[in-house]
Amino acid sequence: MQDQTITITIDEQGHSTLDLEGFAGRTCEKVFDDFRGGDRLSNERKKPAYFTGQQVQQEKSQR
Amino acid sequence: MSKYGVSITELKEEKYLVDALREMGYRPEVHHEAVPMNSYYAEQEAKQANIIIRRHELRGACGDIGFARQPDGRLTLIADELDAYHGYGEKWLGCVQQLYKEKQTLAMARARGYTLKKREVIQTKEGQQVRLQFAVRR
Repeated sequence: MQDQTITITIDEQGHSTLDLEGFAGRTCEKVFDDFRGGDRLSNERKKPAYFTGQQVQQEKSQR
Repeated sequence: MSKYGVSITELKEEKYLVDALREMGYRPEVHHEAVPMNSYYAEQEAKQANIIIRRHELRGACGDIGFARQPDGRLTLIADELDAYHGYGEKWLGCVQQLYKEKQTLAMARARGYTLKKREVIQTKEGQQVRLQFAVRR
Protein backbone atom coordinates (compact mmCIF):
# COMPACT_ATOMS: atom_id res chain seq x y z
CA MET A 1 0.00 0.00 0.00
CA GLN A 2 1.29 3.45 -0.92
CA ASP A 3 2.39 5.67 1.98
CA GLN A 4 -0.02 8.44 2.83
CA THR A 5 1.73 11.78 3.06
CA ILE A 6 0.56 15.36 3.25
CA THR A 7 2.87 18.12 2.06
CA ILE A 8 2.00 21.74 2.68
CA THR A 9 4.16 24.49 1.23
CA ILE A 10 3.65 27.97 2.63
CA ASP A 11 4.96 30.68 0.34
CA GLU A 12 6.43 34.09 1.19
CA GLN A 13 2.94 35.62 1.15
CA GLY A 14 1.63 33.03 3.57
CA HIS A 15 -0.50 31.26 0.99
CA SER A 16 -0.30 27.51 0.88
CA THR A 17 -0.15 24.66 -1.56
CA LEU A 18 -1.47 21.35 -0.32
CA ASP A 19 -0.39 18.08 -1.90
CA LEU A 20 -1.89 14.78 -0.78
CA GLU A 21 -0.29 11.52 -1.77
CA GLY A 22 -1.72 8.04 -1.40
CA PHE A 23 -5.25 9.10 -0.46
CA ALA A 24 -8.50 8.36 -2.22
CA GLY A 25 -12.17 9.29 -2.06
CA ARG A 26 -13.73 10.41 1.20
CA THR A 27 -10.52 10.09 3.25
CA CYS A 28 -8.82 12.38 0.79
CA GLU A 29 -11.55 15.00 1.18
CA LYS A 30 -11.39 14.84 4.98
CA VAL A 31 -7.62 15.27 5.11
CA PHE A 32 -7.82 18.06 2.53
CA ASP A 33 -10.43 19.93 4.61
CA ASP A 34 -8.38 19.45 7.81
CA PHE A 35 -5.34 21.10 6.27
CA ARG A 36 -7.16 23.78 4.35
CA GLY A 37 -8.61 25.09 7.61
CA GLY A 38 -10.88 28.05 7.00
CA ASP A 39 -8.82 29.34 4.11
CA ARG A 40 -10.23 30.25 0.74
CA LEU A 41 -9.40 27.79 -2.00
CA SER A 42 -8.07 29.33 -5.20
CA ASN A 43 -7.30 26.16 -7.13
CA GLU A 44 -8.11 22.48 -6.65
CA ARG A 45 -7.19 19.44 -8.73
CA LYS A 46 -7.95 15.76 -8.20
CA LYS A 47 -5.27 13.30 -9.30
CA PRO A 48 -5.90 9.94 -11.02
CA ALA A 49 -5.25 8.03 -7.77
CA TYR A 50 -8.19 9.83 -6.18
CA PHE A 51 -10.63 8.28 -8.67
CA THR A 52 -8.87 4.91 -8.79
CA GLY A 53 -9.25 4.55 -5.04
CA GLN A 54 -12.87 5.60 -5.18
CA GLN A 55 -13.61 3.02 -7.87
CA VAL A 56 -12.09 0.25 -5.72
CA GLN A 57 -14.18 1.37 -2.75
CA GLN A 58 -17.37 1.36 -4.85
CA GLU A 59 -16.63 -2.10 -6.22
CA LYS A 60 -16.15 -3.44 -2.71
CA SER A 61 -19.43 -1.95 -1.48
CA GLN A 62 -21.34 -3.49 -4.42
CA ARG A 63 -20.21 -7.00 -3.47
CA MET B 1 -0.73 11.69 -5.70
CA SER B 2 -4.39 12.14 -5.11
CA LYS B 3 -5.24 15.77 -4.64
CA TYR B 4 -3.67 19.16 -4.97
CA GLY B 5 -4.93 22.59 -3.94
CA VAL B 6 -3.86 26.16 -3.44
CA SER B 7 -5.36 28.20 -0.59
CA ILE B 8 -5.34 31.89 0.21
CA THR B 9 -4.53 32.37 3.89
CA GLU B 10 -7.06 34.39 5.84
CA LEU B 11 -6.13 35.67 9.29
CA LYS B 12 -8.99 34.62 11.55
CA GLU B 13 -7.55 33.07 14.69
CA GLU B 14 -6.21 35.66 17.10
CA LYS B 15 -3.99 33.20 18.99
CA TYR B 16 -1.85 32.28 15.97
CA LEU B 17 -1.64 35.89 14.79
CA VAL B 18 -0.40 37.02 18.22
CA ASP B 19 2.08 34.10 18.33
CA ALA B 20 3.36 35.04 14.87
CA LEU B 21 3.86 38.68 15.84
CA ARG B 22 5.65 37.64 19.05
CA GLU B 23 7.96 35.41 17.05
CA MET B 24 8.81 38.46 14.94
CA GLY B 25 9.91 40.19 18.14
CA TYR B 26 6.88 42.39 18.83
CA ARG B 27 4.77 42.66 21.96
CA PRO B 28 1.27 43.07 20.50
CA GLU B 29 -1.57 44.43 22.59
CA VAL B 30 -4.75 42.39 22.39
CA HIS B 31 -8.13 44.07 22.92
CA HIS B 32 -11.50 42.35 22.87
CA GLU B 33 -13.06 45.65 21.79
CA ALA B 34 -11.14 47.66 19.18
CA VAL B 35 -9.20 50.62 20.58
CA PRO B 36 -7.75 53.71 18.87
CA MET B 37 -4.39 53.55 17.16
CA ASN B 38 -1.81 56.30 17.03
CA SER B 39 -1.34 57.41 13.48
CA TYR B 40 0.53 60.02 11.50
CA TYR B 41 -2.85 61.02 10.15
CA ALA B 42 -4.62 60.61 13.49
CA GLU B 43 -6.25 64.02 13.31
CA GLN B 44 -7.76 63.35 9.91
CA GLU B 45 -8.77 59.73 10.30
CA ALA B 46 -9.20 57.84 13.57
CA LYS B 47 -8.34 54.16 13.19
CA GLN B 48 -9.11 51.35 15.59
CA ALA B 49 -7.84 47.80 15.91
CA ASN B 50 -8.06 44.75 18.17
CA ILE B 51 -4.42 43.70 17.94
CA ILE B 52 -1.93 46.55 17.99
CA ILE B 53 1.82 46.89 17.71
CA ARG B 54 2.78 50.31 18.99
CA ARG B 55 4.96 52.58 16.90
CA HIS B 56 7.88 52.55 19.34
CA GLU B 57 8.36 48.85 18.48
CA LEU B 58 8.25 49.47 14.74
CA ARG B 59 11.51 50.88 13.50
CA GLY B 60 10.94 53.77 11.11
CA ALA B 61 7.15 53.55 11.18
CA CYS B 62 4.90 56.60 11.13
CA GLY B 63 2.17 55.06 13.24
CA ASP B 64 0.97 51.97 15.07
CA ILE B 65 0.12 48.88 13.06
CA GLY B 66 -2.95 46.91 13.93
CA PHE B 67 -5.32 44.16 12.93
CA ALA B 68 -9.04 44.81 13.18
CA ARG B 69 -11.73 42.15 13.49
CA GLN B 70 -14.20 42.35 10.58
CA PRO B 71 -17.87 41.30 10.71
CA ASP B 72 -16.98 38.14 8.72
CA GLY B 73 -14.42 37.13 11.37
CA ARG B 74 -11.27 38.04 9.46
CA LEU B 75 -8.52 40.13 11.02
CA THR B 76 -7.35 42.73 8.52
CA LEU B 77 -4.27 44.92 8.58
CA ILE B 78 -4.73 48.55 9.57
CA ALA B 79 -1.70 50.75 8.94
CA ASP B 80 -0.67 54.12 7.61
CA GLU B 81 -0.22 54.00 3.85
CA LEU B 82 3.16 55.64 4.31
CA ASP B 83 4.39 52.68 6.33
CA ALA B 84 4.18 50.45 3.28
CA TYR B 85 7.28 52.37 2.16
CA HIS B 86 8.96 51.91 5.55
CA GLY B 87 9.11 48.12 5.45
CA TYR B 88 5.59 47.38 6.64
CA GLY B 89 3.90 46.66 3.34
CA GLU B 90 3.02 43.48 1.48
CA LYS B 91 6.30 41.74 2.23
CA TRP B 92 5.96 42.33 5.96
CA LEU B 93 2.34 41.14 5.93
CA GLY B 94 3.43 38.07 3.95
CA CYS B 95 5.92 37.23 6.68
CA VAL B 96 3.16 37.56 9.32
CA GLN B 97 0.83 35.36 7.27
CA GLN B 98 3.50 32.73 6.67
CA LEU B 99 4.23 32.40 10.40
CA TYR B 100 0.50 32.42 11.15
CA LYS B 101 -0.19 29.63 8.65
CA GLU B 102 2.66 27.49 9.94
CA LYS B 103 1.54 27.83 13.56
CA GLN B 104 -2.08 27.16 12.67
CA THR B 105 -1.16 24.11 10.58
CA LEU B 106 1.10 22.59 13.25
CA ALA B 107 -1.53 23.07 15.97
CA MET B 108 -4.30 21.58 13.83
CA ALA B 109 -2.13 18.61 12.84
CA ARG B 110 -1.22 17.88 16.47
CA ALA B 111 -4.85 18.10 17.55
CA ARG B 112 -6.10 15.78 14.78
CA GLY B 113 -3.39 13.14 15.10
CA TYR B 114 -1.12 13.85 12.13
CA THR B 115 2.62 13.37 12.64
CA LEU B 116 5.14 15.96 11.44
CA LYS B 117 7.80 14.09 9.46
CA LYS B 118 9.84 16.94 8.08
CA ARG B 119 10.15 20.74 8.05
CA GLU B 120 12.18 22.44 5.34
CA VAL B 121 12.89 26.07 4.54
CA ILE B 122 13.29 26.63 0.82
CA GLN B 123 14.92 29.73 -0.59
CA THR B 124 13.34 30.93 -3.85
CA LYS B 125 13.71 34.05 -5.99
CA GLU B 126 10.53 35.42 -4.46
CA GLY B 127 11.53 34.67 -0.88
CA GLN B 128 11.54 31.96 1.73
CA GLN B 129 9.04 29.13 1.64
CA VAL B 130 8.28 26.68 4.43
CA ARG B 131 7.49 23.08 3.57
CA LEU B 132 5.89 20.78 6.13
CA GLN B 133 5.40 17.08 5.56
CA PHE B 134 2.98 15.05 7.65
CA ALA B 135 1.98 11.41 7.88
CA VAL B 136 -1.25 9.93 9.11
CA ARG B 137 -0.77 8.38 12.54
CA ARG B 138 -1.77 4.71 12.49
